[in-house]
Amino acid sequence: MSGYHANAFTKGSPLGRYVIKRFVQMVVLFLVFFALSWIALQAIPGNSIEQQLRLNPNLPPEAITQALARRGLDKPPLEQFWLYTKAFFTGDLGVSWSRYPQPVSKLIAERLPRTVMLFSVALLFQYLIGFQAGKYLAWRRNKRGEIAITIAGVSLFTVFYPWFGLMMILLFAVKLGWVPTNGFIVEATWRGAPVSANHVMVIMFFSLLAVTAFIGLTSWASSRLDQPNRRRLVKIGAWVVGLGGFWLFWATNQYLVYAKDVAVHLVLPVSVLTMVGFAGVMLITRTSMLETMKEDFVTTARAKGLSEAMVRDRHAARTALLPVSTSLVLAVATVIDGGIITESIFGWPGMGQLLLASVVSEDIPVALAAFSFTGILALLGHFAADILYGVLDPRIRVTSQG
Amino acid sequence: MDTKQVPESLQRIEVQIPDRPLWRIRAGLLWESFKSNWKLFKRNRVGLVGLVVIILFAILGLAQPILFATGVWDAKIYDVRTGNDTRVRIAEMTVVANVDEVIDPTSQIDRRRLIAEGENVQVGDVIQRELKHPWPPDRHHLLGTDPNGSDILSQLMYGARAAFGLGLLAAFVTVFIATTVGSVAAYFGGWVDSFFMRFADLLLMLPILAVLIVASSFGRFKLWHLAIFLGLLGGFGGTAIVLKSQALSVKVKPFIDAARVAGGNNWRIVTAHLIPNVMPLSFLYVMFSVTGAISSEAVLSFLGLLNIQMSWGLMINKTQSAGYLLNPATWWLIVPAGLAVTLLAGAFYLAGRGMDEIINPRLRNR
Amino acid sequence: MTISNEVSNDAPILDVRNVVMHYRTEKGDVSAIENVSFSLKSGESFGLVGESGCGKTSMAMALLQLQAENATFKGGEIVLNGEDMLKMNPAEVRSHRWSDISMVFQGAMNAWNPVHRVGAQIKEAMDLHIRPQLSHTESRERIASLFEMVGLDPEMMDRYPHEFSGGMRQRAIIAMALSCDPQIIIADEPTTALDVIVQDQILTELKKIQHDLGMSIIYISHDIAVIAEVTDRMGVMYAGKMVETGPTIEVFHNPKHPYAFLLLSSTPSITGPRRKLAPLEGEPPNLLDPPPGCRFHPRCPFVTDQCRTEEPPLAEIGGGHRVACWNWESVPPLSEGLRK
Ligand SMILES: Nc1ncnc2c1ncn2[C@@H]1O[C@H](COP(=O)(O)OP(=O)(O)OP(=O)(O)O)[C@@H](O)[C@H]1O
Ligand SMILES: [Mg+2]
Repeated sequence: MSGYHANAFTKGSPLGRYVIKRFVQMVVLFLVFFALSWIALQAIPGNSIEQQLRLNPNLPPEAITQALARRGLDKPPLEQFWLYTKAFFTGDLGVSWSRYPQPVSKLIAERLPRTVMLFSVALLFQYLIGFQAGKYLAWRRNKRGEIAITIAGVSLFTVFYPWFGLMMILLFAVKLGWVPTNGFIVEATWRGAPVSANHVMVIMFFSLLAVTAFIGLTSWASSRLDQPNRRRLVKIGAWVVGLGGFWLFWATNQYLVYAKDVAVHLVLPVSVLTMVGFAGVMLITRTSMLETMKEDFVTTARAKGLSEAMVRDRHAARTALLPVSTSLVLAVATVIDGGIITESIFGWPGMGQLLLASVVSEDIPVALAAFSFTGILALLGHFAADILYGVLDPRIRVTSQG
Repeated sequence: MDTKQVPESLQRIEVQIPDRPLWRIRAGLLWESFKSNWKLFKRNRVGLVGLVVIILFAILGLAQPILFATGVWDAKIYDVRTGNDTRVRIAEMTVVANVDEVIDPTSQIDRRRLIAEGENVQVGDVIQRELKHPWPPDRHHLLGTDPNGSDILSQLMYGARAAFGLGLLAAFVTVFIATTVGSVAAYFGGWVDSFFMRFADLLLMLPILAVLIVASSFGRFKLWHLAIFLGLLGGFGGTAIVLKSQALSVKVKPFIDAARVAGGNNWRIVTAHLIPNVMPLSFLYVMFSVTGAISSEAVLSFLGLLNIQMSWGLMINKTQSAGYLLNPATWWLIVPAGLAVTLLAGAFYLAGRGMDEIINPRLRNR
Repeated sequence: MTISNEVSNDAPILDVRNVVMHYRTEKGDVSAIENVSFSLKSGESFGLVGESGCGKTSMAMALLQLQAENATFKGGEIVLNGEDMLKMNPAEVRSHRWSDISMVFQGAMNAWNPVHRVGAQIKEAMDLHIRPQLSHTESRERIASLFEMVGLDPEMMDRYPHEFSGGMRQRAIIAMALSCDPQIIIADEPTTALDVIVQDQILTELKKIQHDLGMSIIYISHDIAVIAEVTDRMGVMYAGKMVETGPTIEVFHNPKHPYAFLLLSSTPSITGPRRKLAPLEGEPPNLLDPPPGCRFHPRCPFVTDQCRTEEPPLAEIGGGHRVACWNWESVPPLSEGLRK
């Protein structure tokens, strides 16, 4: 092996610096966001917390004094904010007004995993399907079917989402009866269950994550292999082992019935979220592909004698992936919005529904916490997308120097 | 680009000044470019489909006041909120055993209720009964009525006006702000640029719907509040970033230098040179912003968070609160409204894409 | 490194015969290549020269069958080692690309994919064409020696294109073009975007490599001086047509087509004979609607009525020198210039 290694500087450090820089930015952004949402919710006219508390018939008077004292609401605003911030970051999110005396943190802990599950599965499918579809659409430009697919894609992209969800429920749940109309579990199945629904869902989430990561990493590693045959073999092997392992894990798992129940309830919301979101990814990919396909390096790839599929996948699509991964940043926000609608239509008791319900019932502590955690989700997604972009685009090193 | 072109083109304009006023030259040039762009646009079938749908909805929206004014429609019956068709409509109904078996409330009736009302009927009998609202479509109500007895078509037409009003207002606010912010950020650079761009990043990252939901706890939004709010969010957000990069590419063109050399002050250069050249792309973003605004409004009123007379989202919200949501038998309560939102939002998007292929040279067919 | 071409026999390895290629556009057909013929022998270097827009790149792309989607061939043959490329199916064409004909692109600055390492992009071509396939280590060693040959540090192979300067990218492209031992390299304005010193270095290197490896080069440029420096034979294109071909020395010192004559007279030459500068007036024709007869007649000082209606054939005038002009005999020697 001749030793032509790139030196350590170009390989590791700048990406590391990029990650750190992004992380700091993320934290700062969150603080700004947090402060703004606090101010916004404090500023609600005629809704001083005390007034609000007194209006609530569920609240005994001692609870009001207790709540006010705990929050130090007699103090000046700046100090109030400081107190709230301190409490927030030490995990004390206060007590819900509409469900007094449930602590907000308990509500959030219960809802968050459900939402993360729904969003991440949907996001994964959106990008897998959307990217492939966009790739083929661009490659078939000006051929038959392009206009039809584009119009179908745009319709899905701009479809009135709640309505579309309802139509899907009507079709698949009411008419065909394939899946439940709404909810998250069937109570009857879980009566006397040895485990909580959230726990099962967390296992589901991580098993899914493990399989995806395994298949993804192995396929990626296989592209480094020289021989096309071996490459194909490893790729197929990864799918077989991954899916087989997943099947084996669940087939022998004592919680299988419960997992099935959750999965059945996931099918429709995830499908609807995927259908609506994938179209956006498809359209972005198509535009990005069309631009990339005009680049000189695509001609170079062709001149080298690569097959059309290789030109498309290794050169055009690989580079077109960059803007698409940027769009992931925006998609996180969109998925959260979509999630709120999805949750309210499908009766999925997650963060979105909590946010909506708390705002409607003017349950300020819950609203503030739900909104903050939504912000954290958005930021984490943002951060992940940024890192992904840094990994995908070697040129990021140049910009990260500045 | 080519520095040699600048004096030439300047000369050409100077020659023309004496015989025609400047605005007419400008108008003429505008008309020329409109004609050639229209030719390009016409070839783009996807964009054309969008434009046709937009025009159809515009006609729909404008037709309603005409129908009222000419007396074709009586406000007592056709008003979107208070209208109620009190005429008696008789329908044939099949008797079924109990409430749970009533799948189609317009053609089925449950026996228990009839017996309670003192009528003696058997399951399977077909009887003549007065039909309660919602009525299925007929000659008087082309799209049927809602559970309160108002006409769906009339609501749909009103909703079209609301959607256009909101969408266009939001879009123009968006684009006005975004063009200004983008041009200013591009022209001045430095901390002005950093400030606006970081702010745009922050807004871009926000889940708009969550923000709107929280914002609506300030008190129910009116339609124009929402339009302005959406306009602000979009204008300082993503659109500003796009228009800034466009403005940056204009900024390096030689005529900007020429204007600076000629002693134009900064604001004049921004308003007279930079902004007009960012305009074409801005108009494109009007289209995309309308799509976003229409969808947001529909979702918010669907969730019952807006204070408005009538809109497509509200039509579905009312259907839901009346309990008719998941019933295929009363399809006219939910299908027209949902389809209208989808079609109009999609049409603006398609028209925008059609324009995109003209304005964005990178997308043009070679 | 092994050299794959046989000892020069006289049969050309590439024979372009009467190729006609048009671009279909909304405004009509652009006749970008009109009846162009030339041939290339093993180890020979051939220059293609002409003003911007005369169809040089179109010709080069046609040789690799990489013409734009709106291009159509209306006739002719491109015979590579006895086989007509225009009759091959896509898979056959692909098997010839890079292994038989490789190319250094006009826009070589953007010819690299920004997201893959330069070495990997070269290896990709080698994996496809070199049989038996090289092992990972062998490929790296081969790339290293290619890099050394073109004057690049072999360590650069693990870098990304954006870490290369323009000149380095161009050298790397040359290394890539050499990677599969092609019989022919097409160099389309390989140095246009570079500064003069780098331009010179790269030309010298190309010449040396061609000499060492014995491959054929098709050299494309609008700069006739460059062509004169590096080629054995050359062709002059005008508005999609080949108007003069022959040994480079002949054409350079004794141009017989008025266009070539004017082109050379308008080029100041340090090495060649002193000449009076005669500007080439007018603009090349619009290829959507080329003039009838000889395409050069609107700009030609020697024009006669025949030129306006009849197309002159590319005719031999001795010593392998061919000219497409009715009045080539009235074209004076270069040293005299145009009398006005
Ligand atoms: N895809 C295309 N569609 C239509 N016309 C084209 C296309 N590609 C090239 N042309 C036209 O064909 C003619 C020849 O172009 P070509 O690129 O071959 O010129 P060239 O000699 O390489 O010029 P240059 O020296 O500027 O590179 C030009 O008139 C050009 O406008
Ligand atoms: Mg060229």
